[in-house]
Amino acid sequence: MGEVLIVATALDGPLARTSLELLAAARALGPGAEADAVLVGHGPGFAGAAETLRRHGAAAVFRCDHPALTAGQTDAVLAAVEQVLRVQQPRVLLVSADTIGRELAPRLAYRLGAALLTECVEVSAVEGGGIVARRQIYGGRALATLAAGNGPVVISVKPHAFEVPEPAAVAGKVEDVAVDIDPAALPARVREVVREQAEVGLEEAPVVVGGGRGLGSVEGFTMLTQLASLLGGAVGASRPPTDAGWVPVSWQIGQTGKTIRPALYIAVGISGATQHVAGVTGSRTIVAINRDPEAPIFSVAHLGIVGDYREVIPAIINKVKEAQGG
Amino acid sequence: MEVTLLRGLVVLLLLAASAGIFARKLLLVYRLIRLGGGPVPLAPAAVRLRELIVQVLAHAKVLRRFLYGVLHLFIFWGFLVLLSTIVQSFGEAFIAGWTLPLVGAAPWFVFLQDLFIVLVLVGVVGALWIRLVSRPRRLAGQNVFGAYLILGLITGIMVTLLLARGARVALEAPAWGRAAPVSAAVARWFAGSSPGTVRAAFEVGWWGHLLIILYFLTWIPEGKHLHLITIAPNVALRKARPRGALAPLDVETAERLGASRAEHFTWKDNLDAFACMECGRCTEVCPANATGKELDPRRLHTDLRRQLTHLGPALLRGAGEGLARLALVGDVFSEPFLWQCLTCGACVEECPAANDHIDKIVEMRRHLVMEEARLPDTMADALRSMEARGHPFRGAGVSRTAWTAGVTVRHLPAGERAEWLLWVGCAAALNERNHEPLRALVRLLAAAGVDVGILGDEETCTGDPARRVGNEYLFQTLARQNIETLQRYGVAKIVTPCPHCYNTFRNEYPQVGGRFEVWHHTQLLARLLDEGRLRPTGDRSAVLTFHDPCYLGRHNGEYDAPRRLLAALPGARTVEMAQCRDRSFCCGAGGGLYWMEDRVGERVSHVRARHVTAAGAEIVATACPFCLLMLEDAGAAVASPARAQDVAELLAASVQERH
Amino acid sequence: MEIIVCLKQVVDPELPARDFAIDPATLRQIREGRPLVISTYDENALEAALQLKDQSGAKVTALTIGPGAAVGDAVRLALAMGADEAVVVDEPRAPELLGVEKAALLECAIRRIGHVDLVLLGCESADWVERVVGPLLAEALGAACVTFVSRIAAADGQLLVRRTADDGFHHLEVRPPAVLTVTSDEAIRPRLPKVKDIMGARRKLVQTWARADLDAPGGRGARAVEVRDVSVPARTARCEFLPGEPAEQAAALVQRLRDLKLL
Repeated sequence: MGEVLIVATALDGPLARTSLELLAAARALGPGAEADAVLVGHGPGFAGAAETLRRHGAAAVFRCDHPALTAGQTDAVLAAVEQVLRVQQPRVLLVSADTIGRELAPRLAYRLGAALLTECVEVSAVEGGGIVARRQIYGGRALATLAAGNGPVVISVKPHAFEVPEPAAVAGKVEDVAVDIDPAALPARVREVVREQAEVGLEEAPVVVGGGRGLGSVEGFTMLTQLASLLGGAVGASRPPTDAGWVPVSWQIGQTGKTIRPALYIAVGISGATQHVAGVTGSRTIVAINRDPEAPIFSVAHLGIVGDYREVIPAIINKVKEAQGG
Repeated sequence: MEVTLLRGLVVLLLLAASAGIFARKLLLVYRLIRLGGGPVPLAPAAVRLRELIVQVLAHAKVLRRFLYGVLHLFIFWGFLVLLSTIVQSFGEAFIAGWTLPLVGAAPWFVFLQDLFIVLVLVGVVGALWIRLVSRPRRLAGQNVFGAYLILGLITGIMVTLLLARGARVALEAPAWGRAAPVSAAVARWFAGSSPGTVRAAFEVGWWGHLLIILYFLTWIPEGKHLHLITIAPNVALRKARPRGALAPLDVETAERLGASRAEHFTWKDNLDAFACMECGRCTEVCPANATGKELDPRRLHTDLRRQLTHLGPALLRGAGEGLARLALVGDVFSEPFLWQCLTCGACVEECPAANDHIDKIVEMRRHLVMEEARLPDTMADALRSMEARGHPFRGAGVSRTAWTAGVTVRHLPAGERAEWLLWVGCAAALNERNHEPLRALVRLLAAAGVDVGILGDEETCTGDPARRVGNEYLFQTLARQNIETLQRYGVAKIVTPCPHCYNTFRNEYPQVGGRFEVWHHTQLLARLLDEGRLRPTGDRSAVLTFHDPCYLGRHNGEYDAPRRLLAALPGARTVEMAQCRDRSFCCGAGGGLYWMEDRVGERVSHVRARHVTAAGAEIVATACPFCLLMLEDAGAAVASPARAQDVAELLAASVQERH
Repeated sequence: MEIIVCLKQVVDPELPARDFAIDPATLRQIREGRPLVISTYDENALEAALQLKDQSGAKVTALTIGPGAAVGDAVRLALAMGADEAVVVDEPRAPELLGVEKAALLECAIRRIGHVDLVLLGCESADWVERVVGPLLAEALGAACVTFVSRIAAADGQLLVRRTADDGFHHLEVRPPAVLTVTSDEAIRPRLPKVKDIMGARRKLVQTWARADLDAPGGRGARAVEVRDVSVPARTARCEFLPGEPAEQAAALVQRLRDLKLL
């Protein structure tokens, strides 16, 4: 009967990294806070998931293995988790705000009559039993501090807001829970999963890496594509590369191209003409990499690197890989 | 005087037949023209008479291509003068040896006739040379059969005329014979021939002349030579609307918005189509066409004419609805064609038939945008931005007053009042490159003691981009809003650095009920310079060239004010680009194209940047915020050594240095 | 098919940073003097609904909550784009309400509208980005729920939808009634209304209901939370240059990105 229960997913694959991040969020709720986990999933990789959770600090792991618990099957996950919740009745439920979690958290809160805090980047417990969380609002321009009083609360945690915690096993167990799910009765059923990394549209991508005339040739874009993939984003361009035919016209960002508002925009070899900048002023953080310290792009960027992209980008790629690999 | 009744009768019958065919064809043309709507308010009679004299009689536009113009002048005046010989020929059908009363036998008259026969032939030879040797691109795509037929017929008319005249001189040795050197020369060929031969030659010449003319008459309504009949009326029926103003449209009550069928244009548009002689000069000067795009201004008239002629009979019968036909918008004129027009007016400026190409394109754009909501995505975004934010510049990171940092200017919304309203415009306020010219302008006006205020955030787009791309509804909404604001503040005099705003206030807002005195900033600065209230003293040594903005120059006739300002800069040397003044080459932003992609062929702006380099200029001076942005961007793209600067910036630097 | 599209009017998300300000009294963005637009993804939802209407003939009702006077433009635009009717829940406090309260109000309004097969709304609102209204509404109405949908097709009484996931797409079969939240996609770019439709919109039915006219929500529902504070982190106008060799610059950058929770 732990206070905190996290929803860990391993649907069609290994344990999601965000599930481990939830354990860090659980720790933030109080140094002594113990977190149990309800683990849902099926298929290869599921076998070791419970152990991984235990190793990183989950106390009790309630494992639900069912063929319906696969990628995108929110209704099935909802049924399984609700079943565990009714028994365990935790005070706090932590869900990752990923594809499934976004649907899961509000629906669970509704069913439990719990308070609902979504897309949180910080959580903490306060005296008297309340929970306080922080989240970004207005496209990242402001930070809201929200409080849920006593009583059950469902919190969805923004991916990457917390780091995967260091392994620190605690006493606990793995318990298999038999869940009763009729796949045919699910109101929304997944028929096909298409995994396509590259399809993230420029306008929806949370991270965009843009290339300009300064790249010198189309080959520069290969490096940018690699960086973008690592960051989970898309690649765009200013006008000259599209004019030169190095990249498709649909990659153009600017007054006559796309307008983007990602959380992070990295401008590489882009001078910063008004035409282009108009398409990116809504970006939360702009990083500019250019050989010319006087380039106009630096007057709109938040972080600047003066250097040759051919040296800088590979260095960044290495550092990002390091940061992610750990 | 021998009265030859039989000959006369035959000729009369032939004339009746020919005239009948001519009249029938012409009547159809007239009816096709009348398929168009109206009313089309016309310019005052005095203006129209002036145009008739200047354009038709004096060939003002035709002479823009001087050599070609002169050749055509010969043929045109030849026709007019030699009309007398045609009348004479007819007269001779009834009365042998008949000449026109009074002048018919006058030596000067006869000499004139002979002279023009030669000039016409020179014209024909010149025309043949143009077609066969010079081969300008604009003549490609014409109906060459018709062209050669006409040249052949004209030659035939001249030759037969000469033959007849020469034979007559040889036969009868009339008094006027001595005054007609060419005819006399022909007569000398007959020296030594028997009278019978000469008589036969005369008959051949006389009959040939008449028959060719009668055939020619039936042929005029076909093809481009209809312009012989239609050009004078087209020039004389000039519209009242000022040059830069598009046609008004009552969006609430109109039964359709724009043109999607050939019969949706006005009668004046249709008359344009029948007056077009396919010279192709419009296409030749079109910046879009010159850079490899599909747009071909000539087709606006040739294809419209073809549509009217082809569909006309059915339309006149009232069978328009069920008619199987090509879609005017989409098939006859593709959407890319329609979206490539910069509305720069180069075609209209060049056209000797006084045709208006822009009106037709905008009518079809109105249909696309208002009836079908089909237009390039980026332009749609700009329009939505105008509706939501009051300006087309999505992503602008500055407010309308950000440029005022560092200068003092009255703020009308704060309760202050001023003699002049400085209307800043969206392009200047929301694009940081234009902030320095704005500050420079304010400093200059302050130095000259001009009392000026701004509306700041209460400015909203004049609606010009919306109107040019065909969204008349949005334009009128914005216009009414602005007029209401301006009237609320009691604004009477406006000065603006943007030629588009200038044009819209001056020529188009009156259509929506707003009348103001409008000056472009170069005009006001030039006046201040003339009055001695501005004294540029600082050395500005550099080689400058001025890029004439389409909406200041061609559309509003102002070419000199900016040049006077540049000439006043100490040390500055001005060179003119080959395409300057009324031949200026658009920067590429007009007609809403600032917000559309220029991806076919070469970029218009890049070509213009190369003109600057070719002129040897270090600085290209501009007088329009759009031109400045385009030329600066293009200059960088083509690695041009020249810098782009607004006239106000250049002047302010020179006036400031005094202190 | 009866479709309801929920539209929220927000302050222009593309407002220059200088014009962004929080009202300390309400802890919400200051709206006065700023342009208001329909929240970005709600427009995509409306476009998706209109495409379903074009394809299979559906009735589309636009539903919005707001101070009556303020939402006029949003309603007119929705009707001009092609919605058949509009319902406005006149709630002066609308800009202050959070997702949980909004969902409850929408539930009441939808119950009053009556039979509905499909409710569409944006995956997130352009201001608070809570992403809760859709799923909460689905629970309240007992409807199926899929979020971040980028394609919808109706076939044989079912809905075939494509959900945009973190790593690709999921294709789902959904049994109506359903609540779908919509994300943007090239195929559902909001259409520009034709002028005759703009003028025709004036004749379409717009009903305005006060909150008091609506029945109370059924079911427990999630509990609202308290907004303790809204702060605007100060952003320096100047660019921070990262010094050193490429390796040092890269390390510094990655650290900054981690600090900003971007990595």
